[in-house]
Amino acid sequence: MFDDMLFQNVVDGIFSAAFLASMLRVTTPILLPSLGALISDRAGVINIGLEGTMLASAFTGVVFSAKATEWISPAISDPMLPWVGLLMGVLVGLLMALLLAFFHLQLKANLILSGIALNILGSSATVAIMYELTGDRGNTKGNLASFKMPFVQLPEFLADIPILSFFFKIFDNQSVMTWIAFFSVAFVWWFMYRTPVGTHLRAVGENPDAAASVGIRVQRIRYLALLMSGVFAGLGGIHMSMGYLAFFQKDMTSGRGFIALATPYLGGGNPIGTGFASLIFGFFDAISTRIGSLEIPSQLPQMVPFVATVMALVIYALQSQLTSRVRTLRSAEGEEFDVNFWGSIRRLSVLHMFLAMLAIIGIIIAVSMFSAPDGFKGAGENLSTGKVVSHGVAIALVSLALIVINLPFMLNVERIGHWRWWYSAGASVLSLWIYLSVFFILFLIAIDGQGVEMADTLIIVLGLALGLISGALIWLRLGGQYLTHNHHLAAVAAA
Amino acid sequence: MKLNSRLLSSRIVLLIVSLALGLVVMFAVTSRMFDGSLDTMKDTPDYTSVLLVNGLIAGSVVLFVLELRMDAVRVVLTVIVALLFGYLVTAIFNLDSAQRFTRGEFKVSLASDAAVPDVEDMDIQYGRARAGDFNNDDQPEPLEEDRYRFAGSEGDEITILAFAARANVEVDLQVALLDADGNELAKSTEVTQEQIDAYKPDLKSTKDAAITNYTLPADGLYTIHVKPEDLSQSQIIKEMLSKTRVAYEAFLLGPVDRVLRWSFWIQDALTLILLGLSIAIVFRAEQFSLGAEGQLYFGALVSGVIVLSFGDVPKTLLVPIALLSAGTAGFLWGLLPGALKAYLGANELVSTLMLNTIATRFYEMVLTFQLQPPDAGYTASDWFPSSGQLTPIVEGTQVTIAVYVVIAVVILTWLLIRRTPIGYEIRMIGANIKFADYGGINTKRTIMLAMAISGIVAGLAGAHLGMGIHRKLILNISIGLAFEGVVVALLARNNPLVVPFAGLLYAYLRTGARFMESDANVSFEVVRIIQSIIILLITAQALVTIFRRRRIRRRGTLDLDLEAGANGGLPPSLPAEEGAHV
Repeated sequence: MFDDMLFQNVVDGIFSAAFLASMLRVTTPILLPSLGALISDRAGVINIGLEGTMLASAFTGVVFSAKATEWISPAISDPMLPWVGLLMGVLVGLLMALLLAFFHLQLKANLILSGIALNILGSSATVAIMYELTGDRGNTKGNLASFKMPFVQLPEFLADIPILSFFFKIFDNQSVMTWIAFFSVAFVWWFMYRTPVGTHLRAVGENPDAAASVGIRVQRIRYLALLMSGVFAGLGGIHMSMGYLAFFQKDMTSGRGFIALATPYLGGGNPIGTGFASLIFGFFDAISTRIGSLEIPSQLPQMVPFVATVMALVIYALQSQLTSRVRTLRSAEGEEFDVNFWGSIRRLSVLHMFLAMLAIIGIIIAVSMFSAPDGFKGAGENLSTGKVVSHGVAIALVSLALIVINLPFMLNVERIGHWRWWYSAGASVLSLWIYLSVFFILFLIAIDGQGVEMADTLIIVLGLALGLISGALIWLRLGGQYLTHNHHLAAVAAA
Repeated sequence: MKLNSRLLSSRIVLLIVSLALGLVVMFAVTSRMFDGSLDTMKDTPDYTSVLLVNGLIAGSVVLFVLELRMDAVRVVLTVIVALLFGYLVTAIFNLDSAQRFTRGEFKVSLASDAAVPDVEDMDIQYGRARAGDFNNDDQPEPLEEDRYRFAGSEGDEITILAFAARANVEVDLQVALLDADGNELAKSTEVTQEQIDAYKPDLKSTKDAAITNYTLPADGLYTIHVKPEDLSQSQIIKEMLSKTRVAYEAFLLGPVDRVLRWSFWIQDALTLILLGLSIAIVFRAEQFSLGAEGQLYFGALVSGVIVLSFGDVPKTLLVPIALLSAGTAGFLWGLLPGALKAYLGANELVSTLMLNTIATRFYEMVLTFQLQPPDAGYTASDWFPSSGQLTPIVEGTQVTIAVYVVIAVVILTWLLIRRTPIGYEIRMIGANIKFADYGGINTKRTIMLAMAISGIVAGLAGAHLGMGIHRKLILNISIGLAFEGVVVALLARNNPLVVPFAGLLYAYLRTGARFMESDANVSFEVVRIIQSIIILLITAQALVTIFRRRRIRRRGTLDLDLEAGANGGLPPSLPAEEGAHV
């Protein structure tokens, strides 16, 4: 069934340590500005200028790592140069954020429009200065000998321990920026939930007037939030130009600063969730390069992260609609309101939306297969049109089925309480089952490694079984059990 | 009654001032284009159309002054401040322009009628020359100065010339003659006109150096020491300023140099006016949608596909159909984020930015895999058939009948916002969405429609790019034009009648920047830096408040009539706007 080389290659690719490592790598420049967006958003002053800030920092980092010996002091040793670049880059990120903060908080300029101005400034000033410094408008390759940030090597003995070796392959030789990014998640969480300033910051974002009335200095907190977002955007920019590449390219962030605005929404407004949301985008980003190795229009996989972002926005919007709906109900129904019930519904609705997102990505992949100019060709082996069509149709059908199952859920998310419990149980488990069994089947093929003649049926049965079990488990864990037993407690059901 | 007459007289004064300004602008542009001579003008084909367009420019100036009143001063001031900032940036970029005097290929020649002393291993001897290249960055170790030893006898009359190797090398040389102990015997930093005449063709300018007819005091070894002259501070600044002046002259006067350059300005302005109108509509409803970019791509794509597939249809039918479908495509692509925002509350800024990228990729895909002719060397569609191109109204340029389309769109947008129920609802929502909701307006529907209607105009802008300017579909047909539209809408304070002036003004800067890049080698991006400054300054409300407070303090009262347009907010709040027209 899956005996062609190409599919094998793609599957192997996706379930390999190398793929996961590359996923971490492309997640980093989304995660860092996302944390910046999160902090500024939670303080009620969302920083739209992340993209321009990233560009400015990326460029400054490259320039200073290449020119520090000339401009600052010839005594700086080579290993120190990228750190000088990092420092200057972050400094410029801070300055850009300060500009935005000054114009918005002091001069009362519109936050969104000043953010747009910051983006234009970042994108134009970098190109203009690059042109002056190097005479090149495109990139600094060959003109500025810049440095990469160091890579973190893990101790070698880990590679010999059976299970750890897989993780060793993922985490070994990652840029220090990737480590900084993931430690930043922990830092931001600690900052936001365990420090007084962080609490004030959330209070300011929730209700600035109330915060001011209890003596919190709103203006100062907002300055801090914007400056912190500038620092994180700066770090993200540094990773773009000094993490795995060692040059600056015109507009090299290509929309990551904008995607970063959407991840906190998907992540439910907390750092951990934002981290996971960024990983999702990293996954789509990495998979789009992976699909890109097949000969299909490169534009289709490139669309995937952006489609995913729009979907994420919709998920978040539905979630917040649900929240406001619940709030209204709470005030209308008084004490009878059941928090756990609504929590379950909320988590389930996110699950459904996420599955729909995957389904739409699946359809895009299927369409990509059909619109391949020279058939579905790759990995050195020509595939027959029949196989292309069968794979494409399979993916599209699975995806369509998922959408059809989940559609009522997505459209009527606030009315779940009206439904019979078995519908929500059925929809959740069924759609999870479909996706997880596909996932497990592919995974089993991948670890089997040798084509699949010997145990096609066994693998498929095993995959389906694993999918069913984990689908049911996840549904129960997300509150499905609670929903089935207690739906009569719900305020809506009572009304 | 007294108030009325005061109002009337101030209106009349305003009208006269605006008409005068419009005429001045029209006259200045026209005379600059034709070098101030009527004969040149009459020799130009279609000069009546040129005059017509210039008349429209004058009209836009009149509308700008009439609609914005005192606020017009602020807009102009903002642009001037931003231009000054741009001047500074350009000057900083030109700091190194004096460096050209310290680099370049040079030659040193040594001449004498005396016999060559018989000494081995000399760098140079009588009748010979040496060449070098100062401060060439391409070399691993740039040459900063050079020394040549030669042997001479007492009484030899020698002439040393140090000069630039070619006429276009501007290196400023100095040369010195040293004796064997390193003492300086003679030095020259520049040459006189007589010397230039005497030593043609070697000496070319006074920047060269020459030690002529020098008699050696003793037998022995001598050294010629040649290096570029040190730059003085004043020289650096002088060079910087003169280069900046050249650049800014190209920037500020370039677009009206001649008819062809003028046409680049006008065609760019037409696109920007359409985009500015599109952005103004959504900003009026306080929706920060930047979807114009994606709508533009879809408009260009749909109109392009229609024109390419139905080339046989007569022009009078094909062009309107293509324009209408471009508008429809934009409408639909605007409906999507509109619905997401209105019914789901999805952040319109992020969603439109994402949809823009999706639209761009889609456009690229269709262009690369469907429209590109197989033998094309680069990614572009075929030329549009002539029936699918907008007819030029000035021969040899891309200034097309799009001028009339744009006028119509401006008027329609004004009617829509000012004279229709939906426009009223859009303004109400922009002023106070909660109030609008309580007042019974279907805010969700209106928000969605506002974003979709703005899509129509952006789609038309795409069609203009394809059918009017490029006459085929190309990759990157718009690079961030929606952001330029934001500047236009901001400059126009979201007023459709002021958008033409703002579009013309901003297109003027953009076109000027292109000529600055080609004429003076200053990066085009300077204009985008100016753009960001304009946005920052014009949205900074506190600046207005400061000015207004000062004026109130001076006058003692707030002159409501003149202040009406100058509420500084974005978009202008409704009561003040209404006040201006009641």
